[in-house]
Amino acid sequence: MSRYLTPSKVGLLALISLYTESVVPSAATIPVLSFLISQILPVNSVKSRNDDLLRSRDITLTLDDFQKATINHISGIPGRTVWDLLLNKLWKINSFDALHVFFDTLSLLLQKTPEQLQNEAEDGADTDSNPNRMLLSRTSPLGAFVRRAQLEFTRLQFHDGLTLWKSFVTYRAPSLLQWKKRNQTAGNTSFDVNLQQDRLDLGDRLTEVAYGELGTEASQVAGVSTEDVEKLLEYQVDQMQRMGNRLPQAMKMKLRDMIESGVTIPSLSHYVSFLDSWKAGDYPSSFDKLHRYFDYTMHNRDRTFYQYALLNLAILHQDFGCYSEAVVAMQETISTARENNDMVCLNYSLSWLYHFGKAHPEEIHEVQKKGVLGTDREALAFLKAKAKETSMWALLSTSLLSEAKLSLSQGDGVAQAFESILKASHLNVTKNVLNAIGSQMSMQSSVFGRLGVSCQAWVYGELFLQCYASPSPVEDVVHCICKSAFLLSQKGRYEDALARMEEIEEETLGTLRYSQYWTSSLGLLKFRRHLHRDNLTAAEHVLAQLRAPLNLSQDLQMNVSMLEMDLLIRRGDYSKAMEMLEELATKLNEEEADTYQRVKLMTLKAQIYDKSGITQKGFSVALRAASLAHRARLLPALWEAVGRVSAVLISLKEFSAAAKLLDSIMPQVLECEDCNLSAQTFALLADAHVGMAGQAKAETLQRKEQLTKALEHIERSFDEFSRIEDVRGQCEMMAKKATIMHLNGDPVLANDCAAKYLDIKRAAKDQL
Amino acid sequence: MATFTKANADYLRNTLQEAVVKCSERCLYQSAKWAAELSVSLPTLPSVSSSFDADTDSQMQDVDPPPISPAFHFANNDPEEARLEAQDLSRYLLAKSYFDCREYDRCAAVFIPSALPRGPLSPTSPNSNRRTPTKAGKGKGKDSGVITEVGSEPPSNALPKLSQRALFLALYSKYMSGEKRKDEESEMILGPADGGSTVNKELVGITRSLEGWFADREARGLSGSNQGWLEYLYGIVLAKGKTEEDAKRWFIRSVHLFPFNWGAWLELSELLNNVEELQKVVPELPQNLMTLIFHLYASQELYQSTDPIHKELDELENIFPDSQFLKTQRALLYYHSKDFDEAETIFSALLHADPHRIDSLDFYSNILYVMSARPKLAFLAQVATATDKFRPETCCVVGNYYSLKSEHEKAVVYFRRALTLDRNFLSAWTLMGHEYVEMKNTHAAIESYRRAVDVNRKDYRAWYGLGQTYEVLEMHLYALFYYQRAASLRPYDPKMWQAVGSCYDKVDRPVQSIKTYKRALVAGTYYDQGSSFGSGTTAGEPTGVLDPETLYQIALMYEKLNQLDDAASYMEMTLAQEEGPEEDDDDEAGGHGIGVTTTTSKARMWLARWEFRRGAHVRAMELANELCQDGVEVEEAKALIRDMRARMESGRSPS
Repeated sequence: MSRYLTPSKVGLLALISLYTESVVPSAATIPVLSFLISQILPVNSVKSRNDDLLRSRDITLTLDDFQKATINHISGIPGRTVWDLLLNKLWKINSFDALHVFFDTLSLLLQKTPEQLQNEAEDGADTDSNPNRMLLSRTSPLGAFVRRAQLEFTRLQFHDGLTLWKSFVTYRAPSLLQWKKRNQTAGNTSFDVNLQQDRLDLGDRLTEVAYGELGTEASQVAGVSTEDVEKLLEYQVDQMQRMGNRLPQAMKMKLRDMIESGVTIPSLSHYVSFLDSWKAGDYPSSFDKLHRYFDYTMHNRDRTFYQYALLNLAILHQDFGCYSEAVVAMQETISTARENNDMVCLNYSLSWLYHFGKAHPEEIHEVQKKGVLGTDREALAFLKAKAKETSMWALLSTSLLSEAKLSLSQGDGVAQAFESILKASHLNVTKNVLNAIGSQMSMQSSVFGRLGVSCQAWVYGELFLQCYASPSPVEDVVHCICKSAFLLSQKGRYEDALARMEEIEEETLGTLRYSQYWTSSLGLLKFRRHLHRDNLTAAEHVLAQLRAPLNLSQDLQMNVSMLEMDLLIRRGDYSKAMEMLEELATKLNEEEADTYQRVKLMTLKAQIYDKSGITQKGFSVALRAASLAHRARLLPALWEAVGRVSAVLISLKEFSAAAKLLDSIMPQVLECEDCNLSAQTFALLADAHVGMAGQAKAETLQRKEQLTKALEHIERSFDEFSRIEDVRGQCEMMAKKATIMHLNGDPVLANDCAAKYLDIKRAAKDQL
Repeated sequence: MATFTKANADYLRNTLQEAVVKCSERCLYQSAKWAAELSVSLPTLPSVSSSFDADTDSQMQDVDPPPISPAFHFANNDPEEARLEAQDLSRYLLAKSYFDCREYDRCAAVFIPSALPRGPLSPTSPNSNRRTPTKAGKGKGKDSGVITEVGSEPPSNALPKLSQRALFLALYSKYMSGEKRKDEESEMILGPADGGSTVNKELVGITRSLEGWFADREARGLSGSNQGWLEYLYGIVLAKGKTEEDAKRWFIRSVHLFPFNWGAWLELSELLNNVEELQKVVPELPQNLMTLIFHLYASQELYQSTDPIHKELDELENIFPDSQFLKTQRALLYYHSKDFDEAETIFSALLHADPHRIDSLDFYSNILYVMSARPKLAFLAQVATATDKFRPETCCVVGNYYSLKSEHEKAVVYFRRALTLDRNFLSAWTLMGHEYVEMKNTHAAIESYRRAVDVNRKDYRAWYGLGQTYEVLEMHLYALFYYQRAASLRPYDPKMWQAVGSCYDKVDRPVQSIKTYKRALVAGTYYDQGSSFGSGTTAGEPTGVLDPETLYQIALMYEKLNQLDDAASYMEMTLAQEEGPEEDDDDEAGGHGIGVTTTTSKARMWLARWEFRRGAHVRAMELANELCQDGVEVEEAKALIRDMRARMESGRSPS
């Protein structure tokens, strides 16, 4: 495998020289030039993503591609297309020596350097070249390509040159027939003038020695150069790192073929296989491959890669749940990066450490004592400053987002969070940081979620999935999909939610972490549904599965616990639920966890008190939860807490106050689009109204009015419950309704309701 | 040789086959290859009853009549040797396989377990020993079963009793291991350790052992049954020690005993420095086919491309019609006589016949280089590289190609590679010298040329190159010596004489210079008339034309000596070359002149001035006008014309 030059590059050079000879008419100039440029420019230059994909698909340029690009253009010479001229040019390279000459004359395409001009002036030799010939600037893309090709050719050893020549002959061979049309004398051996002179034929021994079995072997081998493969590998690494993907199976095979064909294996291929096995969750082999890669590349191109080796190691450790080792590795990374003055690596590691600290606060204590990062705020300020300094825009953007997150979780102002998000968004747009847009949007969506504006949250999620899914890391996409599925399930659209979950690409799930996240989210959905359907055995099964993976993210774990408590409550095992809750609460307090989770827990506690008949005991908890949620602008949580407070009020027979309170929050609750929440709130409101009816005198209009209201609310609540298929809620509402009907003295309707109640129960049973 | 029958051919074939087996038994791979190629090139004549021709038979003294069917193991007809060989057959096979695996020391240790005395071969030791190799040995007894003290009494036989075959193999592998070490110690090509400082340290031990052995044989009266191989090895060792006369003697003895060892002939021819020495050696040689081939080869090596040699070659080709070796010799003869087209044709045919053959492709590449046939040279390089890219010949071909492309750095890389593969590869040294000259690295150039000359003193191009390099360094007197060496090797090459002449000129010896220039003229004409064979016309000057440059130089020399009349006549001769010799004018309409060149123009200018000074204004005017017409040195000519007009007018006006 040659380092750089391939037959297709020779073809490109020929086309370039055609172009400079002014035989390409102006109509064809732009297509020809854009064809050339699309082949010459490096992959990751300013181009749309689709082109990248296209390029990676056919990394080797076949002769057909040349034909397609040129045959439709009529050249400056009458009766000949550009393709004809190109063929002529290619077939004129009719011996190895001619190939040398071809490369030697390439310098004529270039503008002369000042020194050359001076030398010529001194020598007095005036090389008046073809006046029609346009000269390429030495620094233009074409010029640089020509110069690089020439340099690479000079660097070739003789036999390497020969390999190029032979593969060029094979490469060109299919066009013999076409060339024959224009050139009657062409024969089987016209690829080498030496063979023609001696009237040799293909079967001749000399030909066989010189060219071997033409067209069988070597054609595949030399079709790609090391440079091509390296480019391809770089692209793969880029994709894998950016997107967190794994290699598709087909691509893997292709790569293996390419790499096997060449002698020089770019060490990058080890990195690709490392990433692949990492993403596959193969801990030992990814370790092995990581070490292999860095053993080969520790000192490459005069740069030390030690810090990157450590960085990779740390991330690997973290991914596989060896947190303490990850921290140690990362600390070493930081010190090495400092030593080597590698700001990029340093900033990245610091930001990683910060996020790691957020995710696993218990592991980071040691580090924090040493004061690598200081407090969270200081750390973020530092990161922001550094990112600005080194113009790492992606880092700056993520730092801003982290800041927003921090201020939200610490219960600071929403405005501040929005400011940070907007800053990040501005940065993403102005600096074209496509990568970070995903996290920014999901952040935005979650902020809206917190504010209880579910439709906004939903819209942002959709926006992200529609517009930015492809250039964003797969992780973001997975999270976003899971989240929107969750939102859907909140609205009771379980089928839609499941369908949304299935939208994820199969390849993504090849990565262990994502597949875990995805299955857990799916499990949660199902768990919740089973709970609602009162299918507790099935729920328990799902729960057991959800418990299985060890290193779930904290959010998910929290969700699982909450639902587990819900399960316990539904079972009526309040003491156990309480126990669990207390345990969780102490853990969360230790970790200074997210306010949202704490509020959730507190409201749950109040709910348990309520259920176990000591509602008033939950008053202080509910109130605290409400005030906390209010301070942190966690509106859905606030409404829930307020609901709990009003439950307490109801238990204190302060019905009108409760009703007032509930009435006032009702619009916002509805805005949240959380069926469970609104069902609960409606139920409470109904209770309050019933209470108020009880306070009114019997048979008065007032009582009747209250009862009607209560009935209405019960109806609403029933609707909400049935939307999320909550059997128990439905039954409860039906029972309440039946009771009210009974009170109203309408036994027929009451009977109806009771029948409906039984129906629902039976239907739920049947479904099991 | 005219009556070469099938019987002869069969006999010869058998003998050659036997030689192949014997050579490869002794791991002389190249000789075996040579003999095998030769045996295959015999024609397959229709079968006649096998009767032995007496005169070809006579050369074989120690071999059996050939077996009817070719066998791979030829029994030894010397019973004693046969017994010994049978005795150590298994050990011999072991040693041979070690040798084949290139484990030389181990191979030697199979038969000679103790260390032979080692150390550099001091120039005195072989000299002092060789005076009395046989006589001193006689006196010493045969108490040689024990290993004697190192170096105390050199000529005693310290070797265990072995068959000659085993002994040869053992000593030869010692020699090879020494050579290998020498190469290893020499390190980089042209590095600090490369040069004369490293020597084969095994030579002393081998010499001593062989001397002892020969003495022992002599004493026991067994020297008649020597097989020739050990003599060959001894000759090599002696040649390495620069005791060439003795080496020659031993080689001659060896080829008497076993004529089909081509290696011995090769070594012998390398020791011959000129034709006279060859003539001296020839009578001492056995009268057989191999001597003929040797004579041909040696003559070729000494650049004797004369008609008799060609005739000799014709005869040999009658016997071996397909021999690639002989064809190569023919091509080289044409090459030496600068008939490049003919040589190229032969080489091209050879290449077609056997594309995998890399031997002497470097000469072919030289020819293509001279012909500036770049595509062909590239193709040749391609073919050679396809067969084996790590052969010195291949590297030379590639180097030549790069040299032709003026990529001298790359060329040097390839020549160096050739030398790393084989330090004794002559052409590479010379060619590398050329490249260094091109790169203006005179020191390296001189060293390379010197090494070439050390390897083979008959390489005139290296001598010439040395001269050139010193000329570049402005050391003309020094250069003169080298040019003279080159000229003595190529007495009929005008280029050499011109170089000598110009050197004489530079060191202010115009008389000698004129002599040599005249010699160059003679040599030029000799070549033109001598090339009766072949149809080549591109090489050298057209028939009958003298080299104007030389003539011009002679004229300038005469001018220096102030013999202006002579100078003028030579200038006239220079001018005359423009039209070519008069007698040709009728046959071919003026086609043979060289036309106007800068040299002739210079001569014309000189003549014009001279005539002008003599007062022959008309002639001067004529010449000056001619100059103007030719468009060379117009300005000067015009100035001269103006000057003359002025003179003529001023001369006329008073008259």
